Amino acid sequence: MGIVLSNIIAIYRRELQSYFVSPLAYVIAGIFWFISGLFLVMILLGPGGILPTITALDLQGQQLGVPVPPIDVPYEFVRAFLDRMGWLLLFVLPILSMGLYAEERKRGTLELLATSPVTNWAVAVGKLLGVLTFFITMVVPLLALEAFVIQQSNPPMAPTMLLFGHLGLILLAAAILSLGMFISSLTDSTILSAVFTFAVILLLLFVDLLAKTVPGPIGEALSYISLLKHFNTFIEGIFDTSALLLFLSYIFLGIFLTSQSIDALRFQRQ
Amino acid sequence: MKIVAKKKLWKYLFWLGPFFLMAGLTARLISPYWSPISLAFLITGIAVIGIGIILQSQNNQWLGSRSTQAGTNALVATLAVLVILGLINFLGVRYHYRADLTETQLFTLAPQSQELLHNLTQPVKVWIFDVNQNPQDRDLLENYRRQNSKFQFEYVDPDARPGLAKKFGYKDYGEVYLEYQDKRQLVQIVNQENERLSEVRLTNRLQQITTANAAKVYFLQGHGEHPLTAAESGMSQAIQGLTDKNFTTSPLNLAEAAKVPDDAAAVVVAGPKEGLFEGEVQALEQYLNRGGDLLLMIDPGTDPKLENLLKQWGVTLDSRLAVDVSGQGAKQGPAVPIITDYGQHPITKEFGNNISFYRLARPLQINPVAGVQSTPLLRTKPYPNSWAESDLQSEKLEFNADKDLKGPLTLGVALERKLPAPSTTQPNPTPSPLPSPTTQGQAAPKASPSPTPTTNNQATPTATPSPTPTTAATLNNQQGEKTATESRLVVIGNSDFATDGLFQQQLNGDVFLNSVTWVSKQEDQQPLSIRPKEAKNRRLNITATQANLLTLSSLLLLPLIGLVSAFLIWWRRR
Repeated sequence: MGIVLSNIIAIYRRELQSYFVSPLAYVIAGIFWFISGLFLVMILLGPGGILPTITALDLQGQQLGVPVPPIDVPYEFVRAFLDRMGWLLLFVLPILSMGLYAEERKRGTLELLATSPVTNWAVAVGKLLGVLTFFITMVVPLLALEAFVIQQSNPPMAPTMLLFGHLGLILLAAAILSLGMFISSLTDSTILSAVFTFAVILLLLFVDLLAKTVPGPIGEALSYISLLKHFNTFIEGIFDTSALLLFLSYIFLGIFLTSQSIDALRFQRQ
Repeated sequence: MKIVAKKKLWKYLFWLGPFFLMAGLTARLISPYWSPISLAFLITGIAVIGIGIILQSQNNQWLGSRSTQAGTNALVATLAVLVILGLINFLGVRYHYRADLTETQLFTLAPQSQELLHNLTQPVKVWIFDVNQNPQDRDLLENYRRQNSKFQFEYVDPDARPGLAKKFGYKDYGEVYLEYQDKRQLVQIVNQENERLSEVRLTNRLQQITTANAAKVYFLQGHGEHPLTAAESGMSQAIQGLTDKNFTTSPLNLAEAAKVPDDAAAVVVAGPKEGLFEGEVQALEQYLNRGGDLLLMIDPGTDPKLENLLKQWGVTLDSRLAVDVSGQGAKQGPAVPIITDYGQHPITKEFGNNISFYRLARPLQINPVAGVQSTPLLRTKPYPNSWAESDLQSEKLEFNADKDLKGPLTLGVALERKLPAPSTTQPNPTPSPLPSPTTQGQAAPKASPSPTPTTNNQATPTATPSPTPTTAATLNNQQGEKTATESRLVVIGNSDFATDGLFQQQLNGDVFLNSVTWVSKQEDQQPLSIRPKEAKNRRLNITATQANLLTLSSLLLLPLIGLVSAFLIWWRRR
């Protein structure tokens, strides 16, 4: 067990190093920060943003002498922002996950990994943890910006919702990255891997819409596997063990399928 | 050579398999049923793929090779994992824990709804005739279903199932019906823009359909009372609220009918501008004396000629105007008292210190009367924040000790009075030798020997042969079985709060609905009103500097950090 753990850590470190010395990773982070920063500013301060809308509403209420119905502005802001972030992941994460195995295949190092004494799933876990850590590093500055916004709320707001929502975001990212990793292990083309991952995630996000046209238990099952639906329960502030279980299932499935696919590769080459 | 080419061509034919499969599935998705065409496509597709696989395996014997074996192992393992994950998740949905982390429990059902659902023994189904499914509505319905599996819901496309729609009397998209046993009832009409499914309505309709007894509330008309329809200063929202709580409402004109109808659960007098005729007042008194229940909402500056009736209950309408100068924070003028102090009473027990407000209200004076239990409901803030102003002409509002009355003022009061026993049904008909103890401790009962109810007999209640002291606790215990042995009265010095527009604000509607519910002795059958879930009222105070800082750091600083470090690393590597 200790050996497996140290193997995982070794792979994890190798992956992390490769991210932090790669200019591409920083370019991705920079673009990600710009787009999410744009979302943040637009949601909060933009022409149709939350703050101008609420100000107008309050003013209207004052003029008419009618009390405005209670609105939890910071909560709405966090929810709206995390919702957009969920969509943004759809475009960013395939780029992060595309190289995980496809790059190794292209460089020919995958054989080394596949035949090394490190078990396939340990490699997969290490790689997933590495890319997830990189993603979390990308999210932390945004979390700081959001915390800065929440700080200005009156009356003050507890950070529970903010942190819980981001936990949901990270779980969603982990599920998507895990599946992306599997897809990346199938091909030696990074572009193909990104495109396929994008398609699969799109399907998993939209399966909820599809499910509504199918009545009965099949429809319910389809709507249950929708990632977006469970992500929404997280950002609304509902802790549901079934949502957590679904995310964990996706993560596990991705790791398992990756190790299976590398296993199959080992036999194909023989 | 030719044969090989032919074989190759045949191979491509099997690509039609997936095509047929997709065509069948697509056809199924578009139409709501398995049509023969989609089934035919599907079966053909599967058959073609199956034949293709068999032929292929015969061709190159890949079934026997090592990689195929490994592949089969992998396939079996993968399928097993998928099945196991599916089962785990299935169990996870069945037995799950759910916690609402929002501060005001936005996504949790009200205790009333939960209790109602827990007590549900027969299946109930909600039908929503709409093709669009709003996620919020769905969440709410799923919340209901989580409480009790007897609660079901289904979205129905009315065009696809016209027979079903007709059975419910469907008219337009968005109608939500409740079905319980053989009863069907419209809950509300939802639409995508602004009308969401409301827990208040759904729970109340559910309560209604599962209990099914409608109490009738009459609204006195004919003296300038608020109209019951959606007119200016109408009460249509209040009427709707009552209907949602399983009351039926109808206007009552006492000038035409000599007495209050026997089926009246309560009579509401909402803001009469003219005085009532003597005969009408007598009809109301008779109604009260036979166990009737009355809700009076009397505005200042009007004289409904109800002094005699109210005197029997120890209530005097003050002719002054309640003034509240503390309401500046809510941008309300001094003539709009804001109430946050409520009496301990079933009507107000869940109000906490939430707000209700009354535009132009008159204070009430309450004198203890033997046999009448009174509870002040709405109390203004103490002096110097509020007082009763007598001089309404002068521009300046100030307290004059000689003419004005210091707060706290009572704007609403709930009263209940034991009735003399109906001669035969009373289990304990011997009159007590002592006058029954009164609540307020004022022992000035003029013991009347006559136990029969008379129209204008002030002392009647004192002769109540009730052996028990009239305390709130015993009253509450008794009201279940002996509802007709007491009559109830709620007097509020304002009627404006229940009119359209103001009804929906703050607790105003709750004051009205709970009053009617209590007065009509329905509170044990009806849940007292459910507050719709409201978010905590919170604002973001972001200054221009902070906004600029935020914009700069998120649009410029952070992306720059990323791009510059990318450039530096690239430069160093070069």
